[in-house]
Amino acid sequence: MQLDPHVLHLAIRWIHVAAMATAFGGAVMVLALSINTTPREGDAGLLDAATRYEWVFWAAAGVLAMTGIGNLATFGQGLPVPGTDWAAAFMAKLTAVIALVVFSIPRTLAVAGIRAGVAAPRQRERIRSLYGATAAAFAVILGLAVWLAHG
Amino acid sequence: MSGPHEDARKLVTWSLSTFHASAFVLAIVLLLYSRGGLGPALGGLNTLFGLGLFVALWVTTYVTTSRALEGIDLLDPAVDRVRFLRRALRWGAANALAFLAVLGILFVAGAILTAPAGLMSLVFIGPFAVVIGAAVGAVVGTFFGLVDLALCALARAALVSET
Repeated sequence: MQLDPHVLHLAIRWIHVAAMATAFGGAVMVLALSINTTPREGDAGLLDAATRYEWVFWAAAGVLAMTGIGNLATFGQGLPVPGTDWAAAFMAKLTAVIALVVFSIPRTLAVAGIRAGVAAPRQRERIRSLYGATAAAFAVILGLAVWLAHG
Repeated sequence: MSGPHEDARKLVTWSLSTFHASAFVLAIVLLLYSRGGLGPALGGLNTLFGLGLFVALWVTTYVTTSRALEGIDLLDPAVDRVRFLRRALRWGAANALAFLAVLGILFVAGAILTAPAGLMSLVFIGPFAVVIGAAVGAVVGTFFGLVDLALCALARAALVSET
């Protein structure tokens, strides 16, 4: 049985969008939790949410990289060549994605460190800064992705 | 039952292995695209086959990264960096060989189904592929080992600095 390439590419695109929504939405959720919960409620719940998010974030990052290349494969030989506006936006997006992946490692390690008991004063403020930066990076990447798809 | 340290260690392994596999592939995509070679490369690749190859690389990278991190706590400021880099070199080479083995199996399966005469080329290409693959894997593994150490230092600084 031959799989319809249009169905396959549509499925890949849906998975890509779902992974992006999960990673971006999760970062915003942890950021909102760090803003909305009061110190009296304790940092344990916030740290739990951040730790769970890190597991999900890396799963989503792998899926995004995999399906992102799958999306490019849809273009095949018709992929816009370097030197065009689309190419400039694509390279900016790819560079931003690589930067986000690289600088997410210190965030994950910081959360894992706090989880393992490394003393970190002002945990709530640190978590707020880390997830604020992650959500902002995702917003930039999302803007570029929307431009690439519809611009 | 796993405690907070074990949970943290598992999270570090999962994040670093996914980081290595994703960053490696994305860097190749960026390099190929900037030189105009991505379209032809993707045009000749079946989409499902490509997704399968990424999953295979992800799995081999997870296994080799967890072996490289065995008994090493990157969150510890006194971590033995030289020991870690030696492990990164060795397991980077092992990862490349494991991925090469996956490619070899697919090549043999494809040749048996379509053109069994092509199997002879494996005898000639195989030894070179193993040597070059191991060397490239060792270099990439060491590079990622150095990046990991730098990012760990950044994470420690983020934890203790004044906000």
